[in-house]
Amino acid sequence: MTEKTTMATATAEGEVFREKVLALAGEVVLTCIQCGTCSASCPTAHMMDTPIRKLVKLVLEGEKEAALLSRSIWLCTSCLLCTVRCPRNIRPMAVVAALKSIYEDEGMKCKDSVFEGIFARQIRNYGRISEVLLSAEYMIRSPSSAVQIMSFGAELVPKGKIELGFEAAKGERIEGTEEMKRIFDLVGDEKRAEAEKAEAVGEAEEATK
Amino acid sequence: MRIGVYVCHCGLNIAGVLEPSSLTEFAKTLPDVEVARDLQFTCSDTGQETIKEDIVEHKLDSVVVAACSPRLHEPTFRRVISEAGLNPFMLEMANIREQCSWVHMDEPPQAQEKAKDLIRMAVAKAALLNPLQGETMPVSRGVLIVGGGVAGIQAALDLADSGLHVYLVERKPTIGGYMALLTDVFPTNDCSICVLAPKMTDVYNHPLITLMTYAEILNIEGSVGRFTVSGVKKARFVDEKLCKGCINECAGVCPVEVPDEYEFGLGKRKAIYMPIPQSVPLIACVDPEACIGCGLCSEACPVDAVKYDQRQEEFRFDVGAIIVATGWQSFDPARKEEYGYGRFRDVITGLQVERLLNAAGPTGGEVVRPSTGEVAKSVAFLQCVGSRDETVGNQYCSRVCCMYALKNAPLIKEKYPDAEVSIHYIDLRAGGEGYEEFYMRAQRLGVNFIRGRVSEVEKVDGHLRVNYEDTLLGGFRSKPYDLVVLSAGLEANKEADVIGNLLGLSKRPDRFFEIAHPKMRPVEAHIDGVFIAGCASGPKEIQVSIAQGEAAAAKSMRLLLRGELTLDPVVAMVDTEKCIGCKLCVETCPSKAISVDKTALVDEAACKGCGTCAAACPVDAIDMRLFSDEQILAQVRAATAVKGQYPFIVGFLCNWCSYAGADLAGTSRIQYPTNMRAIRVMCAGRVDPAFVIEALKGGADGVLISGCRLGECHYSKGNYQAYQRVQVLRGVLEKVGINPGRVKIVWCAASEGEILAKEVRTFVRELKEMGPVGTELRVLGVPEPPGGDR
Ligand SMILES: Cc1cc2nc3c(=O)[nH]c(=O)nc-3n(C[C@H](O)[C@H](O)[C@H](O)COP(=O)(O)OP(=O)(O)OC[C@H]3O[C@@H](n4cnc5c(N)ncnc54)[C@H](O)[C@@H]3O)c2cc1C
Ligand code: SF4
Repeated sequence: MTEKTTMATATAEGEVFREKVLALAGEVVLTCIQCGTCSASCPTAHMMDTPIRKLVKLVLEGEKEAALLSRSIWLCTSCLLCTVRCPRNIRPMAVVAALKSIYEDEGMKCKDSVFEGIFARQIRNYGRISEVLLSAEYMIRSPSSAVQIMSFGAELVPKGKIELGFEAAKGERIEGTEEMKRIFDLVGDEKRAEAEKAEAVGEAEEATK
Repeated sequence: MRIGVYVCHCGLNIAGVLEPSSLTEFAKTLPDVEVARDLQFTCSDTGQETIKEDIVEHKLDSVVVAACSPRLHEPTFRRVISEAGLNPFMLEMANIREQCSWVHMDEPPQAQEKAKDLIRMAVAKAALLNPLQGETMPVSRGVLIVGGGVAGIQAALDLADSGLHVYLVERKPTIGGYMALLTDVFPTNDCSICVLAPKMTDVYNHPLITLMTYAEILNIEGSVGRFTVSGVKKARFVDEKLCKGCINECAGVCPVEVPDEYEFGLGKRKAIYMPIPQSVPLIACVDPEACIGCGLCSEACPVDAVKYDQRQEEFRFDVGAIIVATGWQSFDPARKEEYGYGRFRDVITGLQVERLLNAAGPTGGEVVRPSTGEVAKSVAFLQCVGSRDETVGNQYCSRVCCMYALKNAPLIKEKYPDAEVSIHYIDLRAGGEGYEEFYMRAQRLGVNFIRGRVSEVEKVDGHLRVNYEDTLLGGFRSKPYDLVVLSAGLEANKEADVIGNLLGLSKRPDRFFEIAHPKMRPVEAHIDGVFIAGCASGPKEIQVSIAQGEAAAAKSMRLLLRGELTLDPVVAMVDTEKCIGCKLCVETCPSKAISVDKTALVDEAACKGCGTCAAACPVDAIDMRLFSDEQILAQVRAATAVKGQYPFIVGFLCNWCSYAGADLAGTSRIQYPTNMRAIRVMCAGRVDPAFVIEALKGGADGVLISGCRLGECHYSKGNYQAYQRVQVLRGVLEKVGINPGRVKIVWCAASEGEILAKEVRTFVRELKEMGPVGTELRVLGVPEPPGGDR
């Protein structure tokens, strides 16, 4: 990223964004000392365009666009190492989660968010993931990026990391999927579910045209 | 009771707004008033003479001066009346300048009414005053110093030089503390033991210092001026009088080796050992845990000093003051598992590197990798290990680790110019005389500074790697090093807990001992006669530790040099008939001045007169000598006798912050409404719910209680207690149908005149909205406001 000269004071929109993140991730984020323990602990740091530490700073400066457009937020694996180690008891992972949810609230979309959406919905509906169905759906929704990961997927099959059997393709369910749904509702996932339904309908209409 | 009232004009300061002559006429109508006069300047010689003459001529018992703030001239007028033969405590002042004429300049008629009330209140209290005697008490001229680190050593020398007797008690077999183990020390890099050793020897040789090493204090009783201390000197199994300190003879033959705690595990010592070559006293010590009783040392000793049958000795002595200089302990870096201390041999601590750099240390001054014994070619210093880290419960900065890393990194660089030396830091803190210059010197010497807190130390292919984000350049890095030094922080010393408990010292959330005021009283404890110096009250460098040792010594001298103590008579007293021994007062007292043996007993030397106990006592068995329940209730009744204004507020202002803040509003001429009649109390914690109820019963529309800002109470926690009581009282008021908003508690510092004025303005507005007291009851159909007897 190249550094550009920007105004020192956040815009009104930036201000609102900052407050939203603080509301979701906690006021404690204000106490960040930019020590970098989070970024240095993160197992996917080497793939990130923006270190987690810098994401926090972008949030505090109200740099909404830069924060939301960073791919880093989709690379977080929720391993919580940052959160365990942060010397200020900030939960950097919660900042990432906040950014993801604002991203979706804003109606933004990218291949990563699409993938997460499918992933979450499968869990919600079946209580588990079927790699076959997941890949298939991802293929339909975001064909170009799915192609990119296909070769990686092909490598995993012989290692037994991906099941290709008929059972798997059917989408095996766990017992108590209703409870699963309730959990999702409790954590406030209806909005995403509705948005996706609308989207699916739209897509279907598009397809029938 | 025959009372004289003097109303001051103070030039036009008072007379410009109020009419002193009519106030004087008013005063004459009050009960017990024998004579009343208005004077141009009451504090002038003429004014003072008039009062003195009246006291004699009219046989006055007490005097009311309506003038400026008692915080200004109370001492003056106390002296005046005592010169005329009255007890100095037979004085009451009505503050009609700072809290009346200066703050109500635009409302002379209302101000005049308020001034009348203030005078009526003062006269009511004056009628109830009692002569008080500040008793004197002989004090011991000895001082106990706990801990023989540099802070304790300095205090001991200063005190003994001034002629007081010092008992210096140290747990370890030698004095010196951590400073005795450091290599060159910042900011001037002089050899630590070289500057400390002469002081240690001075302690040993001083005729007025009784040095007790390898000793433990087990009990402390009494209070300021007369503490009794007892404890034991542990057995060294070596006769102190016989041992010559040659050590090679005995330790040379001892077959047992154990890790040396004075080398922080890097070296070994024998079961019979000398802690450090410069030990004071220079006497060998047998470690009973390690000794196998082979008797070789005893045979080898040329003077037969080894005594296996030595017993511990008890001691007991009296002192007038105590200095706690118990120092610190290192954060245990093994708690930060990700840094590998204890797992990887080449990860060491700052203290260990001090020993490696020390020419007298285990490697003769070579900085080697413990795993190989070879000189380290690359060294990393990791800052803030166990400091500024909520995950280990230490929020605070340890203050000295930046500086000791800035010292040791260049020492390594100077010794091995080719070595690569880096400091991994979050912030570099080099505040202090010559400290920033010290930092620049390290930069010039080629020390590498990397900003970013290390996340982890790993071992990859047998080599240490340090992982971090360079937060200035951005991006993850992993860098190999031969040696990793953890700048472990300073923690409160657990070995001092016993002392803290015996004395009843309070601790801050960071677990260090708390000083009486975070700025203004840096070496005083909350307990009278107890002082805290050095790292016992928080991490600090040598220079500040010494300064605190000196300050604590000076404070002890001030207390004890005269040989007697004049006690403040404004203390609590217990009515043993009423006391039920519930111990509530013991819990409330910030000065640990109350003990209960069937009934409560106040140690008058320790009591500071805040009055929180008196407000807390459920059966009213405790009262204050000045500011008694009776006196304050009389002031409340006098205040509400007329109620010439609506809304009418009775205020209780704490002496130290809020009353001073109200005075400041006056000196700054900040104007506020005339509706409040303020009563001075020593602490907001003194305000008994009964006072508030009396005020409401008397028809006050609201009661304002103002204390020091939270955390700044003169007596530590009185304002918190006031707050709790007000909350409970509000709950009660609400239950009986009175708007709880009528009782308000606010915080105001002595510097915040504007805040006090604002609070009064707001309260007046709020009370106007509520309507006169009782409005809410009329709505409910309740005939009388409640209150009644407690
Ligand atoms: C690695 C390192 C390097 C440092 N380098 C420097 C430097 O270069 N320059 C500098 O200015 N500062 C330096 N410091 C700070 C310095 O060590 C402290 O300022 C100093 O030790 C404070 O002295 P003290 O007397 O308060 O405490 P201590 O040195 O801790 O002395 C306290 C004494 O009290 C004794 N004691 C404790 N409890 C009891 C008890 N219950 N009864 C009897 N005795 C008791 C202890 O045994 C000890 O002897 C360094 C610190 C570290 C960790
Ligand atoms: S002194 Fe420096 S290293 Fe030590 S805790 Fe403070 S900032 Fe961290």
